[in-house]
Amino acid sequence: MTKKPALCIQIADDLLAAAIGEASAAARRRVDRHVAVCGPCRREFHGYRDLDRTVSGMRDEVIPDVQLAGARERLETRLADLRGRLLTYRIFPSPLGHILIARSELGISAVEYLDRRTTARASRLVHRHEPRVEWVEGGEALEPLYLDLMEYLNGRSRKIDWPVDLRLVRSEFHRIVLEATAAIPFGAVISYAGLAREVGKAQAPRAVAQALRWNPLPIVIPCHRVIGSSGALTGYAGNKLGLKNKLLTLEGVPTTRKGGDPAIRARSMYVAYPGMGAYCLPTCTFLKEAPPAPVARFATREGAEGAGMVPCGLCRPDLHPLAH
Amino acid sequence: MPSSFVLLPIETPQGVICEMAARKGRSEAVVAVNGDMVNGPVRPSFHAGRSAVSYSMMNKGAFDTVVSAHHEEILRYLRRVIGQAGDAEDLSQETFLRAYRAYGTLPEDANVRAWLFTLATNLAKNHFRSEKRRRRAYGKAEAAAKGVVGMATEAEFDAREIGALLEKIIEGLPLKQRLAFTQRKLHEMEYEAIGKSLGCSAESARAHVFQALRKIRRGLGGYGVI
Repeated sequence: MTKKPALCIQIADDLLAAAIGEASAAARRRVDRHVAVCGPCRREFHGYRDLDRTVSGMRDEVIPDVQLAGARERLETRLADLRGRLLTYRIFPSPLGHILIARSELGISAVEYLDRRTTARASRLVHRHEPRVEWVEGGEALEPLYLDLMEYLNGRSRKIDWPVDLRLVRSEFHRIVLEATAAIPFGAVISYAGLAREVGKAQAPRAVAQALRWNPLPIVIPCHRVIGSSGALTGYAGNKLGLKNKLLTLEGVPTTRKGGDPAIRARSMYVAYPGMGAYCLPTCTFLKEAPPAPVARFATREGAEGAGMVPCGLCRPDLHPLAH
Repeated sequence: MPSSFVLLPIETPQGVICEMAARKGRSEAVVAVNGDMVNGPVRPSFHAGRSAVSYSMMNKGAFDTVVSAHHEEILRYLRRVIGQAGDAEDLSQETFLRAYRAYGTLPEDANVRAWLFTLATNLAKNHFRSEKRRRRAYGKAEAAAKGVVGMATEAEFDAREIGALLEKIIEGLPLKQRLAFTQRKLHEMEYEAIGKSLGCSAESARAHVFQALRKIRRGLGGYGVI
């Protein structure tokens, strides 16, 4: 076997590049000069050029329409399935620490406090086993939600009006409790026991509290507006009573630290029986005789009247408004 | 922190409890909450100004366009590099499912086609990672190549048979060369993009393609075809 001349070895790469039309002008000239005098390299050059043409011919191969249509249909089916399952989340910095917001195709499905942690690893929801849910990190599409939330937390809006997707709610009972909670208006509070009566489970305020503990949409579904019958804030998102206090203060609900534990100042709030359509001063004589019923307390008259209540005719809160 | 950052207070009813550093109208980081520095990676890019909230799921229509534009080509690419049409279709589905999951985080100016090729290439590499599978594919390819040659004498090769032989030789190429060659010669991808999809430089990608061409020519030359 004869050894290739050094020049031929040196030019081999340029020669191949020139044959398939990828060489620079200078390289192309070098190759032209070389193949003009070197027979074996000329044959190699033509060989590669022909090969390149043959290969280029394969480019136009098409997949038969029937096969392609079938493949497309099967892909669309799987994509539709994925779309139904997918929860897109993003983690945002906020005055309340980092917050995870997630949404599905149907609506917002989760808001979660992550405190100082900034990754989904810290998320209780993401790691809960849910066979019909798949979490992926989302992009800019979630930013408007963050802006909505910031508007609310900065006191510039009074309601987060998102379509919600309750798929992460754990049971039908939890869903009923959360739906009732969602109806508590801005600036109002209700007790766990009151909420339990509201959903027809007067004997089970603790079960109601559990449903709120698993609320996948805090702030959006205002579980911070549910407090103990004594007026104590009781609990929130694990051990975040301070957050509950902040959220209530934001709504103008007067709070105090009664013996170390934060509580609302019930005597500074109007009292209403949602079923009665009227609101009273906390000193109204009617309240002493009233049967136990779900009681809501409002921080302001505007709040109560905004919820469709009229001033009580006995105590006339319209004439003697509470001083704040 | 670069001097071009501006600190923006975030107001709450309790006063300013959180500051955000912003640059060019984009917020970059919350730097302090209640005076404590916030550590850790920070999510970028909240555009200044409020856009109308669109509740449609991350632009479903946009992804439909991606599927329409690239499904056939990705399927064709995978059929070429995988060999078995059924496996190729599975992988093309997987490519688009992965793409859908990540589509929301894809930068706006990204080259979607090159990105899809990268996803498909990674899946193809995983597919062949199992040594057994690779051997089986090679064995079949070699046997088939011999079969093609056995059937015809030199003079009887027509274009279709050359095509068939060519395909068999390509199937027998080492994986990286096959992937690089298919992307470059059959889908006209840029070396830069090919390099990215294979996890190597553009130069290495070019070397893979050239090596593949040399082997193919040697392969065909051995049968006196070209």
